[in-house]
Amino acid sequence: MRGPPYTNYDLGLAYDEMFARDGSIRPPYRALDGRLRTLPAGELARRQNACEQSFLHQGITFTVYSDAQATERIIPTDLLPRIIAADEWDRVERGLKQRIAALNLFLRDIYNEGLVLKDNIVPRAMILGSKHYRREMRGLAVPHGSYVNVCGTDLVRREDGAFVVLEDNLRVPSGVSYMLANREVVRRAFPNVFRSAGVLPIENYPNELLATLKSLAPFQEDVSIAVLTPGVFNAAFFEHAFLARRMGVELVEGRDLLVNDNVVYARTTSGLKRIDVIYRRIDDDFIDPLIFREDSALGVPGLFNAYRAGNVILANALGTGVADDKAIYAYVPRLIKYYLSEEPILDNVETFLCREPKSLDHVLANLDKLVVKAVGESGGYGMLVGPHASAKERAEFADKLKADPENYIAQPTIQLSTAPTFVDGAIEARHVDLRPFILHGEETKIVPGGLTRVALRKGSLVVNSSQGGGSKDTWVLSK
Amino acid sequence: MLARVADSLYWMGRYIERAEHTARLLAVNLESMVEQAPEDAEVSWRRVAAALTDEAVAGMDAQSVTETLTFNRKNSSSLLCSLSFARDNARQVREQLSTEVWEHLNRIYLGTQGENSESVWVHQPASFFRQTLEDLFTLGGVTYSTLRHGEGWRFLQLGCHIERAQLSSRLLDIYFGVVAPGIDQDLPEPKYFDWLTLLKYCTAFEPYCKEYTAALNPAQIGKFLLFDAEFPHSVRFSVNSIVDALAHVAPGAPPSRRAICERLAGRLKASVDFGLDELEGGAIDNFLVGITKQCEQIHDAVYAAYIAYDAEAVL
Repeated sequence: MRGPPYTNYDLGLAYDEMFARDGSIRPPYRALDGRLRTLPAGELARRQNACEQSFLHQGITFTVYSDAQATERIIPTDLLPRIIAADEWDRVERGLKQRIAALNLFLRDIYNEGLVLKDNIVPRAMILGSKHYRREMRGLAVPHGSYVNVCGTDLVRREDGAFVVLEDNLRVPSGVSYMLANREVVRRAFPNVFRSAGVLPIENYPNELLATLKSLAPFQEDVSIAVLTPGVFNAAFFEHAFLARRMGVELVEGRDLLVNDNVVYARTTSGLKRIDVIYRRIDDDFIDPLIFREDSALGVPGLFNAYRAGNVILANALGTGVADDKAIYAYVPRLIKYYLSEEPILDNVETFLCREPKSLDHVLANLDKLVVKAVGESGGYGMLVGPHASAKERAEFADKLKADPENYIAQPTIQLSTAPTFVDGAIEARHVDLRPFILHGEETKIVPGGLTRVALRKGSLVVNSSQGGGSKDTWVLSK
Repeated sequence: MLARVADSLYWMGRYIERAEHTARLLAVNLESMVEQAPEDAEVSWRRVAAALTDEAVAGMDAQSVTETLTFNRKNSSSLLCSLSFARDNARQVREQLSTEVWEHLNRIYLGTQGENSESVWVHQPASFFRQTLEDLFTLGGVTYSTLRHGEGWRFLQLGCHIERAQLSSRLLDIYFGVVAPGIDQDLPEPKYFDWLTLLKYCTAFEPYCKEYTAALNPAQIGKFLLFDAEFPHSVRFSVNSIVDALAHVAPGAPPSRRAICERLAGRLKASVDFGLDELEGGAIDNFLVGITKQCEQIHDAVYAAYIAYDAEAVL
């Protein structure tokens, strides 16, 4: 039994970010612990409330589509920071840089020579059959060979304390605005702890993103950059507006753009203005109704041809989804060895490909222990968390698996690490993950930290905001 | 500036002005009705309803009119709808606004959305409208001092003053005109107290007294609210602001596209500048209808020239 303020803090099987097994406070958390012990009763709740009010007034909200009543909600934010030591971050950073390098080489390869397929490292059918493989991208050169310019990689800590990669988000990863917004409110909530702990800054993210986007059009003096959003009804609209504002570039919707003679223009009050680089936050499928989904009202007719003609740069490039497919994920350690001749610095989670008969048998026999995920889905949809599912749900899922095994992978349930979280007036342990954001252009940059997502329901391992998750500020400490 | 952004800022300006005008009329009338006989108060509410909506209003008592004009979401010109539309437009162009402007408007929106006529009737109902007015005045100040006075600000001003000129013309029509079709036709002649209230509707009582003393004279009131060049709620002030805004929007547009907007603005300015002479004959209703119609023409011309223009034609 722990004393106040941790009387409700239960350590489970998982690694805990704050408490070591023997109950002592891990070094990165000592400054915060000192403050928590001296805060007067009710003060934490007051500060938490101030955080939430600030989010509400800023309009930091997301949209839930299954809820017809209120489409706009505040993303729950927790004011207790998740803290990472300098040496741990150092390893994570090196591992992420290695991984993004390999993934970009892989994308360049499969859209050009296809050596990795000829060498039978990855099954050809898996690539060419992926719904995210874009034939239209074959033979197209991209600046610096960089397909994925903005990547959000989800990391979790295993029971042994090691950070491992859960998935790569290589299409249009979101969450970076929450990382920055969390920092602003939490720094205000704990100014003294923040200063004394030595937290590395992350405020330069928008500048680094701008520099990355500029580096994609190196020959132009006065490069015109825009963020392309699906519009105000998109769940991440706040983020799109936020990034455009902080970078000082135009935020455009598809209807603001038009293509003439393979050049992209924005309609301004004064006339048409040429656009050179588009940081697009619209999925491949919706970006150009002439080439992809013709029912898309979000995209710009002719945009792809302008892109092919080299008159506009898209970031991320099209067709990157083929490499963040949950099935390709299992091959990433092999890709790192193949392209870089290095051992992976960050491990993957052990993954069973249900397309392989032996693995399928193993998965079916151990459904109660495994997490099964549909290959092409994201956001926590289309998945089964075996240990938390009923026998009936497992049986139904087994049928889906047998009908279409290639569409599924399975992983052991990982006890994501827990971190102190302020829930219902008490500090409790909740499971967390970590999504750092990697920028890749002429150089590779990672701001120290990322978005820590937290499963607010007790015992839950699902951190997605669409499934009852919240987020936390992430502090990486200086050496 | 993106054409879509200009569109949103223009409408944001219009809706904020409409919200402020609505809050002001309701606050003033809720405060002044306590001094009126019931039948006079009913006439006042009919004037307020006629000034603010074309919709039928259920009953001409304070709470029914307030409900329709403030809280009824089916009435698209109600106060809460105006605030909601203003905030929707602001959200669309969030990246163009200062944090202060956005957060202030968002707070006004969040603070009013939960209210209804019953909840505000529990307290002094006028205080809800006074508070909203004060919040909107603060928003005006925050906008003036934190936003760059560039093209976006000019579109906000354009929207604000086109809306204000039209709302003022409609209000004055009810007091001076042979009222336009669609507006309550059987209102009696205004009395002394009604002229006083009209000045208060336009925040004009004190400025009017400074110019003409407290002796209320309908002809002078009309002259002041229409033609005073220095009073921000006179029609002339709005017209000058429209002309000024139009001179600064779309700076890079070719002269051929600018010409029509500038011609219309010049005509509107001339009709106000020389309006006093023409009005000696007394045809004020035609004059007010003319102002409203010219504002609509300017709106259409701005859209045709700068916002919804044919992109193929300019390539």
